[in-house]
Amino acid sequence: MAVGPHVLEAAGLPRPGRLTRVREWWEQEHVFGYSLILPALLLIVCLVAYPFGMAIYFSLSDTWVGSPGEFIGLQNFRDILGNEIFQQTVYNSFVFTSIAVVLKTVLGLWLAMLLFRTLRLKRVIRGAVLLPWVIPTALSTLAWWWMFDSLYSVVNWTAIGLGIIDAPGPNWLGQKYHAMAAVIAVNVWRGLPFFAVIVLAGLVSIPREFYEAAEVDGAGAWGRFRNVTLPLLKPVLAVVILFSTIFTFADFNIVYVLTRGGPVNTTHLFATLAYQVGLTGGNLGQGAAISLFLFPILAAVVFIQLRYIRRE
Amino acid sequence: MIAGVRGRGARLRSSVFGYANLLPYVLFALFPFYYMVITSLKNDAELYDLKAVPFLIQTGVIAEHYGYLFFKTEFLTWMKNSLIISVAATSISLVISILAGYSLARLRFRGVSAFGTAVFITYLVPPTLLFLPLSQVVVWLGISDTIWALIVTYPTFLVPFSTWLLMGYFRTIPREVEECALVDGASRMQTILRIVLPMAVPGIVCVTLFGFTLTWNEFTYALTFISQSANKTAVVGVTADLIRGDIYYWGSLMAGAVVASVPIVVIYVLFLDYYVSGLTAGAVKG
Amino acid sequence: MDTSALRITDRRQFLRSAGGATVGMASWLALGQAPAFAQKRELTFLSWNHFVPASDEELRKQAEAFAKQAGVSVRVDTIAHLQLDAKFAAEAQSQSGHDMIRTHNVVPFLYEHLLADVSDVVAKLGKQYGGWYPFAAEAHETKNGWRGVPWFWISFPATYNETHFKKAGFKETPKTWDDLLKMGRTLKGQGNPVGIPVSHCSDANTTFWSIQWCYGGKVLEADGRTPGINSDKTAQVIELYKALYKDAMEPEVLSWDDASNNRFILSGKGSWIHNPISPYNAALAKKMPVADDINHHNSPGGPAGIHSAPPILGLGIWKFSKNVEVAKEFIQFLFRKENYDAWIVASNAFNHPPLKHLADHPIWARNAKLAMLPAEAQYAHPRGWPAKPNPSVQLIDSNYILPDMVAKAINGMPTKRAMAWAQDQIALAVQGKLKAAG
Repeated sequence: MAVGPHVLEAAGLPRPGRLTRVREWWEQEHVFGYSLILPALLLIVCLVAYPFGMAIYFSLSDTWVGSPGEFIGLQNFRDILGNEIFQQTVYNSFVFTSIAVVLKTVLGLWLAMLLFRTLRLKRVIRGAVLLPWVIPTALSTLAWWWMFDSLYSVVNWTAIGLGIIDAPGPNWLGQKYHAMAAVIAVNVWRGLPFFAVIVLAGLVSIPREFYEAAEVDGAGAWGRFRNVTLPLLKPVLAVVILFSTIFTFADFNIVYVLTRGGPVNTTHLFATLAYQVGLTGGNLGQGAAISLFLFPILAAVVFIQLRYIRRE
Repeated sequence: MIAGVRGRGARLRSSVFGYANLLPYVLFALFPFYYMVITSLKNDAELYDLKAVPFLIQTGVIAEHYGYLFFKTEFLTWMKNSLIISVAATSISLVISILAGYSLARLRFRGVSAFGTAVFITYLVPPTLLFLPLSQVVVWLGISDTIWALIVTYPTFLVPFSTWLLMGYFRTIPREVEECALVDGASRMQTILRIVLPMAVPGIVCVTLFGFTLTWNEFTYALTFISQSANKTAVVGVTADLIRGDIYYWGSLMAGAVVASVPIVVIYVLFLDYYVSGLTAGAVKG
Repeated sequence: MDTSALRITDRRQFLRSAGGATVGMASWLALGQAPAFAQKRELTFLSWNHFVPASDEELRKQAEAFAKQAGVSVRVDTIAHLQLDAKFAAEAQSQSGHDMIRTHNVVPFLYEHLLADVSDVVAKLGKQYGGWYPFAAEAHETKNGWRGVPWFWISFPATYNETHFKKAGFKETPKTWDDLLKMGRTLKGQGNPVGIPVSHCSDANTTFWSIQWCYGGKVLEADGRTPGINSDKTAQVIELYKALYKDAMEPEVLSWDDASNNRFILSGKGSWIHNPISPYNAALAKKMPVADDINHHNSPGGPAGIHSAPPILGLGIWKFSKNVEVAKEFIQFLFRKENYDAWIVASNAFNHPPLKHLADHPIWARNAKLAMLPAEAQYAHPRGWPAKPNPSVQLIDSNYILPDMVAKAINGMPTKRAMAWAQDQIALAVQGKLKAAG
């Protein structure tokens, strides 16, 4: 740490120039710390906090796209809570997110373990498995939509060919449970690589000694998994489940392209309903209220999961 | 070193088991991509023929859809825009996240944990909520309908995750190394640039890849803030020009999807190992 | 591409991004508005990706001709029609964007206070070309004046496959929806069902409005505020849909989007759909053999006559635009007889003029398969009829309340309950607007 100016004066040395004094001031931990977070802070205040504030204002007013609104308090929230379409959306969101995340966790874990064990063609296989995550969602979902099309569905064609179902096969995007299944399938398809790769990273970091010790103790494959792998993976798993839940709850593209919320609103999520009501329909106040509903739910989910992580 | 308990036969069986189990995953992951490629090479008559086999091309491969994509639409311009936007937005986020991440991981000052929480909460705010007010901000900044609108707004969803990831990564770097450098007379900034960053390269690569993927694939902001065809991104341009109401140019759409995926696939394959190890430290220690 | 327009845009962009970002940020903090730079006037127009690409090419050509003549530059941006609403919202909210927009259905009413008054242009053109069709006028004239110039409308006839009809032994086409049901039974029996979407797509809305009016039903009462859907006329309509679904259509109609019925008839499977002539045009363009089989006939009617709800598109000018006068000149330029005629031809008769004298174009009379289309104008009403168009209709349409009501009934809900549900939803949609309208 540089010496203070008074000491130097007392020693008869020339006072450091202004530039040096600025530099010294900057070197202090708290000044340096604040200056480093300044860009992020600016970004958040200007481009997140302010629009977020505006969105809250919208939700508390009766703004429509063409006209400014007046403050109406919580009326929008009361309206949507009583609306059957919104209730259906809440139900859909929970079903969609829980099933998708569970599937992604279980399949992702298994996939990560498989990737961990393969030695040949590692790069190629890992690349292939990563592909769904990497292709632009807007475009890959279009391909899936074509694959589920009522007339030309490749999925049906294959299943009929394999003898699993009879012609003409289910109308995937037109029936309640099938549509939800289709939407979940596409979400899992896209999200699986994210899970697998992060868990794989966690697997890679587990020291071999633990496994070898377990083997010496006579543990079989399942025993090793339960006592070594799983506990050591818990922090990684918890984190990736957390982020995946957030992503999945707020999903927009998949439902928008595949079903636009149908059939009869059985696949609407918060984001798609908010878009439909607020932007296409013009009722910005209600649209914002629907969007904002996500926030406390997410915060609650995050809070629960973070407490779990902190405890470990 | 304790010798492997299982013999050669068992190892062979287990690796076959491994590959056999991987097959469904690889098929599941690649199948739509294969279908996209096949569709982009099929001619329309066969595509709409109910009796044709969807997986094969029976009436000859055609390059017409790619031709339409490259010559009749501004696809190359859109790819260029996407590239510029992704590189710029990712770079900006990277710089901001490195600074913020280091500060939150290493430095002590009042409000540190509050700020960390604020960064994380930002991540929870869904883009579909923000984009209407954001369009107003974009206009105020005078960057509406330009690629700058995206370069400036994309970091809003990149910075939270990247900061958090890099925070975890920076914490794994031993304090002693940094303190040594400081004692030796290096300034804090120099310490970051010369000591910390080189040790955090995997984390940085990871953040870059993540950022690039998200910005390349983003749709809502790109659709709202940009109208001019010359400024559109690849994803928006392809879906906008090749879907005309009730007529879908499937062949060219799929061709667009295939070509638009290529740059990222290439980058991922090249840097995959870094990506994996980058996430390790960040995720485990975070 | 017009290089002068390119260069000007590039220069403008450079100035904006480099200088504008800095200056803009400072002035944002101070004033809240970015300063404008002096440049050659540029008129910008936001429109849809026309279903017939040649029509857009013609539009751009005419835009360039106007640009040369008027000494300005004109830029036409086109995006997917489903995304126009979100774009309008963003431009309205930020009070900046394009000068002109292509309006649809009730947009002139939704943005009544933000669109410029175009009554002068409308009066001039009306006088010149023999008057506007009533439904076109109703869709654009608010109580405070005209907010859009009707640009064109898209006829929504029945598109059917003659070969399938002949095979079923039918010498005539259905004149009423009830006929359609009877014929549909036979057609489905021979493997060629009919198709009406009952799903989240705009075609589903259009057809429902049409059928309901034919039975004397209504969604809103004439005052525009009271939901009027709960009635025995609507119940009849729902029963019709249910019968059609069971006997004449296949379950896939529950997942259709706007393009599905096109594919349905072009694949050769479908025998009848309610749709504009886009499948016919597509078949001609791609030289598909089914083009020979496709023909059209006028919309079917019901006990209350023949009514339909064709999409009506208009040209609106944002009030915040700095080029309102130039935009008005551009609109009049587009409506010059030679220009409008060329535009009709480019769209292959897809674009219908909303002015009586322009509708005499020979292209329809010349082609036997298209000759019946102009007559659709007499059956047309704007959405919301018998009420005047109002913004709650936008919400009703975009929430797909009407198709959902039918879908619920098809899936087993008692008709009365489905109608009550729709009534509640419509009341909710109207509620928000009641206050704003004052």
